Amino acid sequence: MRVVLEQLSKKFGDVAAVDAIDLEARSGEFVALLGPSGCGKTTTLLMIAGIYRPTSGTIVFGDRRVDHLHPKDRGIGMVFQSYALYPHMTVAENIGFPLELRRAVGKPERDQRVREAAGRVEVDDLLDRRPAQLSGGQQQRVALARALVKRPDILLLDEPLSNLDARLRHDMRGEIKRLQKEIGITSIFVTHDQLEALTMADRVAVMRNGRLQAYATPDELYARPRNRFVAEFIGTPPMNFFPAELGSRNGSFIARAEGIEVELTRAQLPHGEARQATMGVRPEHLAIVPPAEGNVSGEVYVVEPMGREQIVDVQVGERRLRVIAPPGFAGRIGDRVGLRVAAERLHFFDPTSGERLS
Amino acid sequence: MATVVVAPVAGRNRWFSLLPYVVLGLATVPILVLYVWLFYSSFFPRIEGFTPIGGFTLDNWRFLWDPASVPQMRNRPPIIPLTINTFLFATLTSLISLLISSMAGYAFSRLRFKGRRTFLGGILLLHSFPSVTLLIALFVVLRTLGLYDKLVGVILVQTAFALPFGIWIMKGFFDNIPWDLEMSALVDGAGRLRTWWRIMLPLVKPGLLALGILLFVEGWNQFLLPFVFMPSGSQQTLSTLVRGILGEGRFVDYGLLTAVGLYYIAPVLVLFVLAQDQLMRIYAGGVKG
Repeated sequence: MRVVLEQLSKKFGDVAAVDAIDLEARSGEFVALLGPSGCGKTTTLLMIAGIYRPTSGTIVFGDRRVDHLHPKDRGIGMVFQSYALYPHMTVAENIGFPLELRRAVGKPERDQRVREAAGRVEVDDLLDRRPAQLSGGQQQRVALARALVKRPDILLLDEPLSNLDARLRHDMRGEIKRLQKEIGITSIFVTHDQLEALTMADRVAVMRNGRLQAYATPDELYARPRNRFVAEFIGTPPMNFFPAELGSRNGSFIARAEGIEVELTRAQLPHGEARQATMGVRPEHLAIVPPAEGNVSGEVYVVEPMGREQIVDVQVGERRLRVIAPPGFAGRIGDRVGLRVAAERLHFFDPTSGERLS
Repeated sequence: MATVVVAPVAGRNRWFSLLPYVVLGLATVPILVLYVWLFYSSFFPRIEGFTPIGGFTLDNWRFLWDPASVPQMRNRPPIIPLTINTFLFATLTSLISLLISSMAGYAFSRLRFKGRRTFLGGILLLHSFPSVTLLIALFVVLRTLGLYDKLVGVILVQTAFALPFGIWIMKGFFDNIPWDLEMSALVDGAGRLRTWWRIMLPLVKPGLLALGILLFVEGWNQFLLPFVFMPSGSQQTLSTLVRGILGEGRFVDYGLLTAVGLYYIAPVLVLFVLAQDQLMRIYAGGVKG
């Protein structure tokens, strides 16, 4: 079932927590709401759930307007950040609770569906335990089973992985994604972790200060960020930025920044008349080369080996650039190195509005 | 080296940690002596100071099996109905207060309605209001309603007096329950009432128990209200009996008084011993997940 938000806003007093958001999740799509804390992503989710009433705007599930409906009438399942398992009930009672409230589902059917839901997330051997006797990962699975047991049209997840340790988070990421695709349920999840958003979601809505910054596939967010905020927020380590001048020479377009001078391709030609721009380049699109061979040279500031790769900070004039180097790079602090810029991977943003220029 | 330094510190700490016990122990002695004296003197014909006169006897306890032979009991209702009255009074006031406190406390904790702050302020004000000052007004109200000199009337009054404290305590317990649990119940399909009953109430059970015990004890000990609002005999409670024995005639029969007194406080003492853990929680508070 599709979910459509139109001009959705929520004010707390005078503060606009969510400001006129337009968003559509297609049927069966997995959508992430991504942003730093306080950006309004959880408020948006709670409005979709029906726990907060929108100040203005509409919410549509399928073809039905739902923003006036109670949570129980919206056909949603939800997993909370704290999992919100009922501490006084066993796992089976927790999972069965949504069904207990439905008169149409009799006791035998309820038991069977509880077992089925528990089996799906592999907690069927824990049915008699209480939440306090479960590990974080098990609680998470129980919460998922409880959200899915009534076969909702829409699944909502609020920071589903943030209470798990790093290892488990990785496993659950894959499992939740797989489960979502298996069931084919339209799902919306909230996260502050861009890696989670990129790896799990079909499309990612990036939010800041209550406004939607970008809504695109992970690939597109990475390759063509719509503005400087998105460019900086997506990708680790974050993109390097510096002020640049755009000009032409001998009929080709040139960008000049911090002693770097690169020729631009046709696709990168900025729209409009911009002469000043913020240039962005991702650490993985800079390569370390001998000092004379790069577009620019600098001094190694620090090297952080990560196993598969190394993050090298290079001091270029006043600016420090982050570069990803292969594990074989043996530079030391103070060494002079050259940097080669992958010109076709450069991004240009308006220095005042932050909007993408090309 | 390390042990040499640590040992004396640990020693001093131990003495330090004993200090509260010593202070509290000393402060408890007079109270303890009173209880011992009460117990002791109910089994002897007379006591002078702490010295019993005469041998061990159950004579003072005669009011239980042969009330007719006790002059002070003659014009009074028998002890068993009195006990039942007291029990009914304490139980009903605590149950009704519990029900109302837990519903009102939930509403104050979770719902944002008009006048919420005013109500909360009013509750605090009422709680600190001395009930004696309301006696005359209450008398008029009870008379008008035809509830004067009836157990029901006193139960209602006592319940009303208990509510401010009860609501405030229950609100505190509900405040400690994470919002997520409630949101989750709403998403799972429960309405407000069911959320309260199935999710919230079980989680404040320690609070309910503690408050219930406190209210029961308060009802059991209540003297002023039954004394003022149920003057005629049949519906009196044990506290008024004790007062009667104390106030009757020129000689007070201390043997009888201590026996009846002991009979009167025994249930409360037993309850306290059994329910200590629960009672502690009213101050510790909170849900264990």
